[in-house]
Amino acid sequence: MMLARVADSLYWIGRYVERAEHMCRLSDVMLNATLDRTEGAAQVARIALAAVGDSDRAHLANPYEATLAMALDREDQGSIVSSLALARENARQVRDQITTETWERLNLIYLKMTGPDAAKSFADGSSAFLHDVIADLHLFRGAADATMSHGEGWRFLLLGMYLERAQLIGRLLEVCFGDRRRGAFDEHFALVSVLRMSCALEPYLRRYTADIQPRKVLEFLLLDEDFPRSIRFATARIEEHTTAASRYVEAGHAGPERLAGRLKARLQYADMDELQVAGASALISTVLDECVAIHQSIYETFVHYSLEMRLPA
Amino acid sequence: MVEYGVATAHISEDTATAPNVGPQASLNVPYDEMLTSRGLVRPHYAALDARIATLAAADMAERQRVLERYFLLQGITFTVYGGESSTERIIPTDLLPRIIPAEEWSKIETGLTQRLKALNMFLADIYGEQKILMDGVVPRELVLSAPSYRREMQNLYVPHQAYANVCGSDLIRQTDGAFAVLEDNLRVPSGVSYMLANREASRRTFPGTFRAANVRAIDRYPDLLLATLKSMAADWRPNPQVAVLTPGVYNSAYYEHAYLARLMGCPLVEGRDLVVHDNMVYMRTTTGLRRIDVIYRRVDDDFIDPLTFRRDSGLGVAGLFNAYRAGNVVICNAPGTGVADDKAVYAYVPEIIRYYLGEDAILPNIETYLCREPAQLSHVLANLDKLVVKAVGASGGYGMLIGPHASKQERAEFGEAIKADPDNYIAQPTIQLSTAPCLVDGAIEPRHVDLRPFILSGEKIVVTPGALTRVALRKGSLVVNSSQGGGSKDTWVLADGKETQS
Repeated sequence: MMLARVADSLYWIGRYVERAEHMCRLSDVMLNATLDRTEGAAQVARIALAAVGDSDRAHLANPYEATLAMALDREDQGSIVSSLALARENARQVRDQITTETWERLNLIYLKMTGPDAAKSFADGSSAFLHDVIADLHLFRGAADATMSHGEGWRFLLLGMYLERAQLIGRLLEVCFGDRRRGAFDEHFALVSVLRMSCALEPYLRRYTADIQPRKVLEFLLLDEDFPRSIRFATARIEEHTTAASRYVEAGHAGPERLAGRLKARLQYADMDELQVAGASALISTVLDECVAIHQSIYETFVHYSLEMRLPA
Repeated sequence: MVEYGVATAHISEDTATAPNVGPQASLNVPYDEMLTSRGLVRPHYAALDARIATLAAADMAERQRVLERYFLLQGITFTVYGGESSTERIIPTDLLPRIIPAEEWSKIETGLTQRLKALNMFLADIYGEQKILMDGVVPRELVLSAPSYRREMQNLYVPHQAYANVCGSDLIRQTDGAFAVLEDNLRVPSGVSYMLANREASRRTFPGTFRAANVRAIDRYPDLLLATLKSMAADWRPNPQVAVLTPGVYNSAYYEHAYLARLMGCPLVEGRDLVVHDNMVYMRTTTGLRRIDVIYRRVDDDFIDPLTFRRDSGLGVAGLFNAYRAGNVVICNAPGTGVADDKAVYAYVPEIIRYYLGEDAILPNIETYLCREPAQLSHVLANLDKLVVKAVGASGGYGMLIGPHASKQERAEFGEAIKADPDNYIAQPTIQLSTAPCLVDGAIEPRHVDLRPFILSGEKIVVTPGALTRVALRKGSLVVNSSQGGGSKDTWVLADGKETQS
């Protein structure tokens, strides 16, 4: 049993934290890649900016400025600092529901990002800065995992994380493999960078060796069973947590668990050879649409349900 | 032992405020918590004083930094809203504990218990048969016309007659060293989280001294509070659901609301989480509606139910008061308790204690002039430069004139305001709060302090053996409210030598 508002906040903490981490990785990879002036580097910058929905052409030419804005611009609701501030604000609203250890981690990241030294340490070494934020976020996850009860609240936190993750990776794949992609995506360097953006390079190498091909990259990020940032992995977790959270809701709510189960099955039984023929684009956009539907369904079932249905007789 | 560096600082301060007055005759010299008027360290402060003497200024500064970092990391902050941006600050917290010996505390404890018992009886009476008004002990119109009197509470059953379940009285120590009650806070007193957080912090800063001093534990406050709240629930509800009602994250005491909810293991609800249906109160959970039995509300009377009280309030929930009247939910503290901590009713508290308990008040009041009485009014107007005048309805250090510190014009203006509405004002002599050593800019200096202990009343009355000591951090200032630049420090209540810590 937990307050609907609390579940809502925990869910958003998960989403914002995941988003911040993904943005850090994207910025870091882009910044590193664009130290070279090759065609591959240009592809990477285009992919990264498209994946975060940044359509500012000037940013293509000046990746440092783009990264700076992405990291520390408080005006921009989508920046890393804004995401972290929102995650922390949500945590503050449910301060009684998360453990002190978990709260401290998040609060510390927030204080670092908004402190007077943030801009300077970013300027001194942006890569190290972003790297530290990612490491701090890992500490946050670790503290949450190790200290919070793995009950309902925990499930909403993870639901937020995995839904956000499925959507973020989905968007990245859409930019690289979708029908509406702009420009080529074939350079070895670009492929490696996309793997890095998903923190997938090392697991990929173990699975496929250093044979890096677009088809395999797609297969790995979309359909791998064990890699935690593949969409299949994320949807399996979404299904797991929605099913567990729905357990206590009265029957008759054909809710999020049905949608999540269907999406999970789609990815579980997808066939790479068929995908090659039909084009991956359709599956990727199905994934993105279904994620939106699951999100809405979670709201209708757990948070903004109609009182008429739930009043005691 | 005497630590001369510290002692000198104190003496020079005393003589600065009261020149040419010897310590023996110094009625106006504030009582110092650590030093006697001859500059000797009081025995219960000896260990701390010895410890401080071994610390260099840099060590102290480092400890202060550690302390502040602890508060920041825990998010024990309040938000200051500026024009463009809002910043979070920690409540200024002083490193050095204030120490109260066992025998002094036992008097405070019995005094507070007596007082709250009488005030609860008073509330039960005025919201019931009103005997005390019939007997003319307290003027009828004073009670019935007080803005905090709630007609809606008339003849409503309150379990154990416990109206004020959580009370935070403000005590001060007068120049002769005796404690007196300055104010009773029976509505939604706050500060208990600072008491607990200060303790956490000072255990870290002075672990050895803390251990040796045999300080009484206060960490049971959350479960005592929960037990008190549960004792208010109806008998036929075997496992009552308690919830803490907060105005929300923008309230300056939000940290405290969340803190108490977390330590009690109760949900922290806002008005928008609640639904009243068929005179029952429910909260919206992920799995549907769930009934609430006891609401520890941290929202003022005016805002808890737009149907009964202020119509423009979105902080409460419509229908809550009717559910309360129907006996399906208990609101703690009860609405309408404010009438007993009204600044004019305050003057009658010793009478109230005598009326109900047949005892003299153990803790005295501060002498109070009621401007509603013509004779007292003229005295007040003639002595505005010596008195502190307070508006009856205001709190938090607002609507107040500190005569000796005010300009002639301010006094004249305030005098007019009093004449226009004498019922609304009371006056008290300027009180010298006692001073305690504080770390200010690297040096140890005395600052004025008060004492806010917390008393719980449900089935029985329990005084927590600890308190929030509020500090006026500005030199010479007597205002300790956090809204007016005050800070706080930990308060050590020492255990009797014989008994072990419970």
